[in-house]
Amino acid sequence: MKRPPMVMRVQIHGKEGKFPLWLPLFLLLPLALLLLIILSPLILIAITILRLRGRGNELSPVVRASLGMLCSVRGIRAAFDVLCSMPGLRVDVRNRNERVYVSII
Amino acid sequence: MSENQKKILEMLANKKISIDEAYRLLNALKTEAGAPESSTEAGTTGKPKPKYLRVSVQPGSGHEHDDDVERVNVRVPVSLIRSGMKLSSLLPPEAKDKVTGALHEKGIDLDMRNLKPDDLETIIEALNDLEVDVVSRKEVVKVFVEQ
Repeated sequence: MKRPPMVMRVQIHGKEGKFPLWLPLFLLLPLALLLLIILSPLILIAITILRLRGRGNELSPVVRASLGMLCSVRGIRAAFDVLCSMPGLRVDVRNRNERVYVSII
Repeated sequence: MSENQKKILEMLANKKISIDEAYRLLNALKTEAGAPESSTEAGTTGKPKPKYLRVSVQPGSGHEHDDDVERVNVRVPVSLIRSGMKLSSLLPPEAKDKVTGALHEKGIDLDMRNLKPDDLETIIEALNDLEVDVVSRKEVVKVFVEQ
């Protein structure tokens, strides 16, 4: 079963020192859900406007793409899928003095 | 020994089936027993499904202790690639045209409009065989998949 990421681990080592950070993403998810509920009337208005104006033909493709993805259930689902696929992502870049490490668990 | 295997051996002992038939039946049972595992863990080709795409940049031989060389280690879940491609399928045709044009300018002949979900699965399965090694005097770049 797919699950959203729980923790994001960020480590930045520089000349000035170390900066380790554990971001509890599971605490941010209820906030994101709350934000989605608050924004849902605006999303609904945007969907209605887009439909009435022929899906915003006069808008630039980039704006249309962004609005289209935001204002569709498929878009929200696809974005959630991307979020749920993130656990396991790891980026580690380092040289003599610096290191950037990002891991999503 | 399973019940079916016993039955086959009994039939062989009672000379109801020949040795060849018993051998074929036992093999068929083995394949059947292995099928559930392969259908969950492996793709249609029988190979295990790739889990992560790894990109690694390490210092080349003779430069292992050279701290000026950047070491890069990236692990991208294949499921993230799959979800990202699905997300890109929501792009309107005009945006896809722009992306295709931009890729073409960079020398990549990939038509975003022709990418279908079935093609995506084929591409992901084909990642199993992906292995890129670029070895230079200073750096070794490796792109491969992890199961």
